[in-house]
Amino acid sequence: MGSIEGILTGFQVAFSIEGVLFVLLGVFVGTFIGMLPGLGPISAIAIMIPITYGMEPTLALVMMAGVYYGAVFGGSTSSILLNAPGISGTVASSFDGYPMAQQGKAGKALAIAALSSFAGGTVSVVLLMIFAPMLANVAISFGPPAYFALMLLGLTAIASLSEGSTIKALISAVVGFMVATIGIDPQTGTARFTFGSTNLLDGIDFLVIALGLFAIAEVCYLVMNRHKSLGGSGKDIGSLKLSKEDAKEMSGPIGRHSILGFILGILPGAGATIASFISYITEKRISKNPDKFGKGYVKGLAAPETSNNAATSGAFVPLLSLGIPGSGTTAVMLGAFLVLGLQPGPMLMGDEPEVFWGIIASMYIGNIFLLILNLPLIPYIARILTIPRPLLISLVIMFSLIGVYAISFSVFDLYLLLAFGVLGFLMRMFAFPAPPFILAFILGGMMEQSFRQSMTISDGNISIFFESNISLVLIILSALSLSFPILKNIWAKKKA
Amino acid sequence: MKKLLALSMFILMLLFLAACGGDDTSSEGDNAGEDDTSSEESSGDESSSEGDGEWAPSESIEIVAPAGAGGGWDTTARMSAQVLNEEGIIEQDMGVVNKEGAGGAVGWAYMAEQAGSNHNLFVSSSPILLVPLNGQSEYGHEDFTPIANVIADYGAFAVRDDAEWDNLNELFEDMKEDPQSVTVVGTSSPGSMDHIQFVRFAKAAGVDITKIKYVSAPDAGGITQLLNGSADVFSTGVAEVVEQARAGEIRVLAVTSEERLEGETLSTFPTAMEQGIDESFINWRGFFGPKDMDPAAVEYYEAKFKELSDSGAFADVRSNYGWNEMFMGSEEYQEFLDQEKEALKGLLDELGLTAE
Repeated sequence: MGSIEGILTGFQVAFSIEGVLFVLLGVFVGTFIGMLPGLGPISAIAIMIPITYGMEPTLALVMMAGVYYGAVFGGSTSSILLNAPGISGTVASSFDGYPMAQQGKAGKALAIAALSSFAGGTVSVVLLMIFAPMLANVAISFGPPAYFALMLLGLTAIASLSEGSTIKALISAVVGFMVATIGIDPQTGTARFTFGSTNLLDGIDFLVIALGLFAIAEVCYLVMNRHKSLGGSGKDIGSLKLSKEDAKEMSGPIGRHSILGFILGILPGAGATIASFISYITEKRISKNPDKFGKGYVKGLAAPETSNNAATSGAFVPLLSLGIPGSGTTAVMLGAFLVLGLQPGPMLMGDEPEVFWGIIASMYIGNIFLLILNLPLIPYIARILTIPRPLLISLVIMFSLIGVYAISFSVFDLYLLLAFGVLGFLMRMFAFPAPPFILAFILGGMMEQSFRQSMTISDGNISIFFESNISLVLIILSALSLSFPILKNIWAKKKA
Repeated sequence: MKKLLALSMFILMLLFLAACGGDDTSSEGDNAGEDDTSSEESSGDESSSEGDGEWAPSESIEIVAPAGAGGGWDTTARMSAQVLNEEGIIEQDMGVVNKEGAGGAVGWAYMAEQAGSNHNLFVSSSPILLVPLNGQSEYGHEDFTPIANVIADYGAFAVRDDAEWDNLNELFEDMKEDPQSVTVVGTSSPGSMDHIQFVRFAKAAGVDITKIKYVSAPDAGGITQLLNGSADVFSTGVAEVVEQARAGEIRVLAVTSEERLEGETLSTFPTAMEQGIDESFINWRGFFGPKDMDPAAVEYYEAKFKELSDSGAFADVRSNYGWNEMFMGSEEYQEFLDQEKEALKGLLDELGLTAE
């Protein structure tokens, strides 16, 4: 059994003194950068690349991997405390995390996030270790029709992401779709809705929208309502301790979403962001108390937090076993491999087993470090909330501006951020929910492209969506997901 | 007391941030500063250098990679800057800046603003011809000063290992009968490199190029769609297919170079020429300066890049990344680019992809 030997070599590398040290360094840098609103794993890894010049490749990569999942781990902090997502994968964590912190349970929220992240990370590494060699096939099994069907399934949840008016949720989603079409259309090379500006040719970055609609809008809201005290004092951190009930509530989502998140992470292009959204939606769909979501519900925080970390491990599958980067972050990782003279691909496992298995084995240690690093810090980090509000608001604005500027060093993006902040504030004033906008924006671009790729391949024949098993199953699930609430209603009436 | 602790905690965090942020943004910040000064100082430089014709940089040099970190342009810029500095070919510091976006158009628009500067260079390749032809960039190679080409990359056409075609001719025979029966996938939009290199060879073989079915699958989508059977042919850079070919997952029907490439796996890929299709495609990559660069400065950089290209250190870089040597000086480069653009324009016109 070559792979067992490989695994052992991997553990040898990961548990060597240097191995442990570099993992620790990686996760520390990662979790720290992840905590800052707007700065995510891409900037973190890009910063680290020059440092690794001349380092032993395995150690360098073990460290970079640590930066990556460390950033996803730490990314939830600012989502929960400030409603300012640190990275795109943690936007969904703010839906229930921020209300929880506002209710004076910030400590508990951070503890839930840390434990779910740890569980998601660890379970998915186990899956990665057992199935990595076989999973390469899963990564490529999704053709354009299957991607389209997956995005469709995600979209059926728009209604469930809204509080109150479904019409307003749909309007919000349509605007999100429209914003997603800005930029060069890959299928024809035509520029759309750019108004002749080079700045818009690449479309609008997800973080600009997320920070605008959430962080800046929240700041505007706080300023407008500065004389009202907002539910709870916002100053209590609350106890870190989780009750037995909380633990029980968490265990379900953790089990489900470490697997779901991992699978979604494997698919190139899906990644942590889409995984966290789909997990949140799924959890809400199957919950007996969907009304509790969005108001600081344990399950609503545990689900996306488990999922985004699990997806991070999943993203290593196509990278390590096929040399296919599934996301912007793994693309930068691929660059790091090349700089170090390694070529990830189907031959990596055979040619360089210590690299392949070393990275995977190091993730076990990395996740444990992250938990040890994060848990004791929670009381201190949560104290950010005790900062007087005027100061806190200014800090959120500053961090958001820095984060957005760091994406592409473009001043234009800063204006966009403010524009989306104003839009988000107006949406909030008139009770248009922001999550459907964000969801439509994320799924919209990919959905449109995969639809049109499918149409090109099939010469415009719609039946292509029903030909592959994967897309057929996903489309049936979408149909069920749409009709489920209606059926449930009818059922309830019959019983009554 | 609690308040004090919280405050100090936060100040600590801020300090950390300042340090991190500094790391991240410093290159940018510095460069923003440089831009200001360089535009002011460059006028001074020119007047001082006009007299003797000998020119040397008087401040640090900025190299723009009009793409994100990790790609071909970025790597070329970074590795060149590193070797130029480490080997002492150029003493002045060279900083690489990423101006990412719109297939290069964002970076070129930035460079167009640097007209007349002698301390701003950038890396580009075939897209600087194709993107303006597609109408996605206001600026093309005519708006800049070609300094030197240093690298050549080649394209490849790959199919799944179990595909019915054993060579390029068999594929094109099928496509001559029914061009729509084959789906070609590439990672960039129609009218860009992946598409055009395939069209170029198909045309040489006599296929009706207006009917070719081309799907654009950005990022990792190309290889994925080839492997899962959504597409039949993957048109891409040769580096993208080596690993999969070595693993026996895919077969390379042809590479676009005139002669076989060197390397254990690379040398097993046949050229189109040896299969009787008289066509080639080079993805050249080189350095440009802004418009109205001082001729003395152009001469200076041209000589330095020649030195770079001839150095042993850069030969190692080339072999690490699988690049080929292809040096052209400023004048030769200019002519080559003009010719190449004419040829590409012909193809795009025929496909109806040229912007009015």
